[in-house]
Amino acid sequence: MTDIFKLENVTFRHTPTAPIVLNGMDLVIEEGTRNAILGANGVGKTTMFYTLTGVHKPQEGTVYNRDVPVEYTKDGLRSLRSDVAVVLQNPDEQIFCSLVEEDIAFGPLNLGLERDEVERRVSKAMRDVRMSEFARRPLQQLSGGQRKRVAIAGALAMEPKIMIMDEPTAGLDPQASMEVMELAEKLHLMGVTVLISTHDIDIVYKWADQSYVLYGGKVEFAGHIDEFYSNPERVYRCGLLTPSMFNMNRDISMLDGMDVAPYPRNCCEFTAKFGKPSRSGKVLCVPVEEEEALGKYEEVMKDMNGVPAGVYGPDARFALRSKELEYQFDAIDSCFTDAVRGKDAVLFHDPIYSKTIEEQVEKLKAIGFDADVEVVR
Amino acid sequence: MDELAYSSRMVNWAPLGKLLFILALMIVGLITDSLVVPMITFAIGISLMAYSTNLKIPLILALAIGEAILILLIGCGMISIMGSDTDPGLWDGYILWIKVHMTEGSFNQAWLIFFRAVAGVTLMLAFACSTPIPHLAQAFRSIRCPPEITELIVLIYRYAFLLLERFLVMLDAAQCRLGYNGAMTAMRSYGGAMAGTFIFSMELAEKSEAALACRNYDGYFPVFRMPQKMSVAWAVVSIGLAVALYFVGQYTGDWINMAKLFAPLFGWSI
Repeated sequence: MTDIFKLENVTFRHTPTAPIVLNGMDLVIEEGTRNAILGANGVGKTTMFYTLTGVHKPQEGTVYNRDVPVEYTKDGLRSLRSDVAVVLQNPDEQIFCSLVEEDIAFGPLNLGLERDEVERRVSKAMRDVRMSEFARRPLQQLSGGQRKRVAIAGALAMEPKIMIMDEPTAGLDPQASMEVMELAEKLHLMGVTVLISTHDIDIVYKWADQSYVLYGGKVEFAGHIDEFYSNPERVYRCGLLTPSMFNMNRDISMLDGMDVAPYPRNCCEFTAKFGKPSRSGKVLCVPVEEEEALGKYEEVMKDMNGVPAGVYGPDARFALRSKELEYQFDAIDSCFTDAVRGKDAVLFHDPIYSKTIEEQVEKLKAIGFDADVEVVR
Repeated sequence: MDELAYSSRMVNWAPLGKLLFILALMIVGLITDSLVVPMITFAIGISLMAYSTNLKIPLILALAIGEAILILLIGCGMISIMGSDTDPGLWDGYILWIKVHMTEGSFNQAWLIFFRAVAGVTLMLAFACSTPIPHLAQAFRSIRCPPEITELIVLIYRYAFLLLERFLVMLDAAQCRLGYNGAMTAMRSYGGAMAGTFIFSMELAEKSEAALACRNYDGYFPVFRMPQKMSVAWAVVSIGLAVALYFVGQYTGDWINMAKLFAPLFGWSI
């Protein structure tokens, strides 16, 4: 994999007399990966993001984008920022225009795209964050959560190659948080490198491939996060806590005299590891395009008496919004948990998420559970 | 204001056309000495505002207009009592230490200024209630207004409201902590909120600069839905109406004498 970003001994302070925020930071972000940036408040996560986007020029060290040092010229920065979109922690800092659609179009228009293309991107981004009906609504009339969605849509409309999200789930209700993580996953599947900084350790624990823990202006840990969480002193020193799933796995493994590895990251993996399942229920995966979703739903569900169904992905959820499905959010985990319990389940999803489902099957296999999956084409 | 403007029935009218129309009426109101012209322009301004807001003028705007009229009344009252010493006085005396000498000329002059000002306020409000800032900025760009001015207008407009919102949040927060418990405490709370807003404005400026850079801002706020361009009809109607009103002003200079109208009420002999 190519290194999409590399920080080499980067030092940054806001003013010459201010304390050092990034203190000789070294960091490598690989292309197409899911990355979580963790750390206590004030540890430099946002500053690091601004350094990656060229907003902050480090006093020492070098920032590389695809192995090329970032050029702090107008053209160099424009080229860098055409590839990188940022969702800031506070949407009010990011939102400039009066209307929802105007603000979402701000980035694409700055890129100099054709009007039709901007229209397409704005409309798509609004639907992805469920804000289509608010297109002509003034931003002052929106709630904090809705403004956050607009900020995310503004970044999505840039169709970036690298998406940086600074605490994207802060201030959102649980359902909206799950939708944001679905969007992050979708971007990853589209080949976008996603960096998320968050204090919601449970959400990123099950999502991230790579985690980076910042402490004292440096990267204290980089890699698979279970190794970091296995050292409680280090976790507390960095101002973090271990995720519930990690704790439950560690404690029950100790009780049962089992090895803590493999580490289950979600409910179905946890149930598969400790539930001693005898046989797998069938997960019927139905990839649906938005326009055919309702027809496929009727076709598939007519012979499925009492079998629970779930939906995953913004398009499928939007298309099936009139149906009362059992699992509206985190449906991959819920349907596979049913399978581990020996029950059948139907999973409607956007076609792009097929790879996520395959990954889930592989992870269950690594735990020792062969899930029975049938894909309805 | 933008919220009101986007819901206006005049939002799709060409912003530059509206601006030309409003300016033409305001200028003609200023260059004629007849009271009839500012009265007509005032009536046009009120009608446009009523049409724009569909007769639903928000309370805050009505209060703003009321406040403006009150200030103008006070100002014009001052003008009316400072007439020329050489003219015969309608009313002479003292208010505290201020010498009052109201003449027919100063009284009429005060009314003329009052109507000109009120007409200007209503016309400008009719324009502001129907023209979102991005449209106004686009209109300025189309007349080659320097980008430094245009983009600053957009930025100031945007951040003024954010700061106002922040100020109100601080006041609410102060109220939650008994910040208005007594006159001194209330003054301290207001002072604290003002200082806090000022400090926040600098912090916000820094953060917003970074956020704008992240979104490829290049010194220009693009407009997604372009407003209509000004047609020749706008120019013809605006200039035509202004010329017509100018001539109306020339022939109606002595039609309305406010001093004579009020004379029976105050017992003035004119």
